[in-house]
Amino acid sequence: MSPSGCIRTVNHLQDTEEISARLRDAASLPDLLAASFDAFEIARMLARAGDLRLPELFAAFMTTADAAVDGREAVTAAPALPAGSTTACALTPSAAGTEEITAALAALGTLLSDRLAYAVTLTAEPADRDACAAAADAASRIHHLMTP
Amino acid sequence: MNPTFGDFLTPAGEHITAAVAFRGELPAGAREDAIAELGRVVSALARYLGDLPPPHDPGPGGTFPPTFRERAAADARVALRRAARTLRHRATSTQDAHPVVRHLSAAADYLSAGRDLLHTHFTTGGQPGTGPENSYWAPAITSAPVTSALLSELAHHARVLVPWAAQLTMTAPGLCALAADRLILHQAISGLWITAAAIQAAEHDNPTPPRARHLLAAIPAAAPPPRQPPGTGEPVTGLCHGITITADRLRHAARAPTQPGRWSPAATSASWRRAALACAITSHASEIVLHTLTDRARHLGIEPAITERLRGAAAAMSQTWPWWRAVACEWDILSTGTHHGTSSTPAAADFEDLALRTGRLAHASPDWTPGYAGSSIRGRAVLAPARGDVSTVVAAIHHAADAITRIAIQHQQAVSTAAGERRLYLPTRLMPATCDIPYPYTLAPRKRTSKLLATYAAAIGASARATEVLDELAAAIGAPSTILGVHRSIASQQASTRRREGTDIAQTQPRPVPPPAAPGQAAQIEHLLHSLQITEPALLLRAAALDQATHELLAEATAKSRKQGSAAAPLPQRSQKAPNWPARAAGKDLPRHISGRDGQVTHTDQKAAPTAVTASKNSIR
Repeated sequence: MSPSGCIRTVNHLQDTEEISARLRDAASLPDLLAASFDAFEIARMLARAGDLRLPELFAAFMTTADAAVDGREAVTAAPALPAGSTTACALTPSAAGTEEITAALAALGTLLSDRLAYAVTLTAEPADRDACAAAADAASRIHHLMTP
Repeated sequence: MNPTFGDFLTPAGEHITAAVAFRGELPAGAREDAIAELGRVVSALARYLGDLPPPHDPGPGGTFPPTFRERAAADARVALRRAARTLRHRATSTQDAHPVVRHLSAAADYLSAGRDLLHTHFTTGGQPGTGPENSYWAPAITSAPVTSALLSELAHHARVLVPWAAQLTMTAPGLCALAADRLILHQAISGLWITAAAIQAAEHDNPTPPRARHLLAAIPAAAPPPRQPPGTGEPVTGLCHGITITADRLRHAARAPTQPGRWSPAATSASWRRAALACAITSHASEIVLHTLTDRARHLGIEPAITERLRGAAAAMSQTWPWWRAVACEWDILSTGTHHGTSSTPAAADFEDLALRTGRLAHASPDWTPGYAGSSIRGRAVLAPARGDVSTVVAAIHHAADAITRIAIQHQQAVSTAAGERRLYLPTRLMPATCDIPYPYTLAPRKRTSKLLATYAAAIGASARATEVLDELAAAIGAPSTILGVHRSIASQQASTRRREGTDIAQTQPRPVPPPAAPGQAAQIEHLLHSLQITEPALLLRAAALDQATHELLAEATAKSRKQGSAAAPLPQRSQKAPNWPARAAGKDLPRHISGRDGQVTHTDQKAAPTAVTASKNSIR
């Protein structure tokens, strides 16, 4: 169920592509933080969608979801995060393969990490800088967890 | 590992045995020193008995008269105290002392150190059985079976010393000159004899169970062992040892105050979420390990009954991790808000160690970490090359499950407190767009926190069941962790006795708490379900929904009643100002219930809820 009450079957890759484009296109710190919040939320949902697929990857997906929550919480603490609602929608079980999910998560982690590290340079506000640094760290963990 | 009581009790007995084995005549100087050291031994024994609570008052109804053993202990206490007073107990120089003196001196030292170890389980100034408890071992230490085992040991020492002391009175070089010494010795013998006889008689009446003796010897010092961070390439035995140490550290952490400072790193959603994650990974890996052991047991030709128990343990463990996953999913959404400058807690590092080592036990790669580059399952012959290795691995898994169950109860209680204090929030960005909330967090609805607590209750229940199955398995195969089951059984027996007698001094011990319901009458249905031992979240949630409806009806009725009465008398003002917590301050001007399109709080995760909980998604999504 989405915030507006919609249920839709989403293509994970399309979702991550959309959020990746938003992250790349974000021109201001508030835009970047809002996109990062949504990106972490998508990463969390993707990880939850994958954690029961293979016993060998249970811990990897669980830990990735945890890192995504860490990142989202860090972004939430940034004063520059604008008010508003997430655009991330609830995901129905996807037909995407495990490898596709892990690749998408790894790529999203890298992009988030880079953009949030860049965001640190955009502001002099200590709370924003701390939030971006903590979120970048969480994104980096997602990348490492999902990289073979 | 921590020293145990047995590390002191056993050598004390050995030194006493060695001392009394000397049959010759002691030189004059040595004789005097031996009597002094005997005095120290008797004093140490008397102090042990002095620690025991006096026979309790039967009370007005006279329901619980002192037991035979309690009366025996009281008699022995008086007799030994007198004996200790008459003996001149002083420490002698033992470097060049006669062997008898040295042995008695060492025995007195060991006995005193053992008593000190027991005292570490009780807060300063507290006495076993009467003071505040400081460790999860305390209830077992003060239990009747362990007290009985301790008395039995003390009586044994007394019994061994009596004939030797009697011989000492007969072998003085100048009997007349040493008449005073002989008198003193006679009094000591009398005290020791009364002690031995009284306790032996009680023992005859009600023998000490052997498991209580084992438990007595296994009592560790009430201090967590130092952390041993996982190394690279640890062998199976090293992993098992590390898991045992980490589990012990977590058991100690479970005794931490259940209401830590509001912004303590231990009382945040991040800390609880990380713990739930570790519990899920550890339990999942434990299931894999138990399956592998089942295969190995069959391959090694271990008795089918044991193999079946292993299979049962794996099945029980398979019921645990989905619930821990569900708890972690609940924490995906819930939060205690923003906390600046909070560092991780020691328990967080222990949780990580536990998950990592158990994961490495389950997987083939010795440097396994929870990542996509993880490895395949560890081969059965590598996990347990020989029959004895099966019990070593079972013991490690047993320790992990036991620690998770204990600390989870504490976490559930702390989360319940946070929910009761309305310190659990939702990120407002996860709210529907129609909710215009200019703050990062908003108060979590009660249904959401109830669901979290119901999921905790289910996870704890599943872990407790798996631990009980492992208790039986460990006992069946003689695993080193057998003592955990004995401890649980005796501590539980002690808790029941205290509840029955109304003398429970362990009020600070964390216990599972039911999910909160509306206060007063409105919580009756949910409480009723808990009293019926119902832990199924779907049922609990339905009960909570009914209670909530009752609560709202009562609240509405109360408001109407107040409104009618307000013309006659003003409502009393709140006398105590509520703490100005940031997120609460942020939310105080907001509507109490944030509703989505269909009147329910919404979030973006449907997968987060466990199967049983999603069954009731009409009430909580």
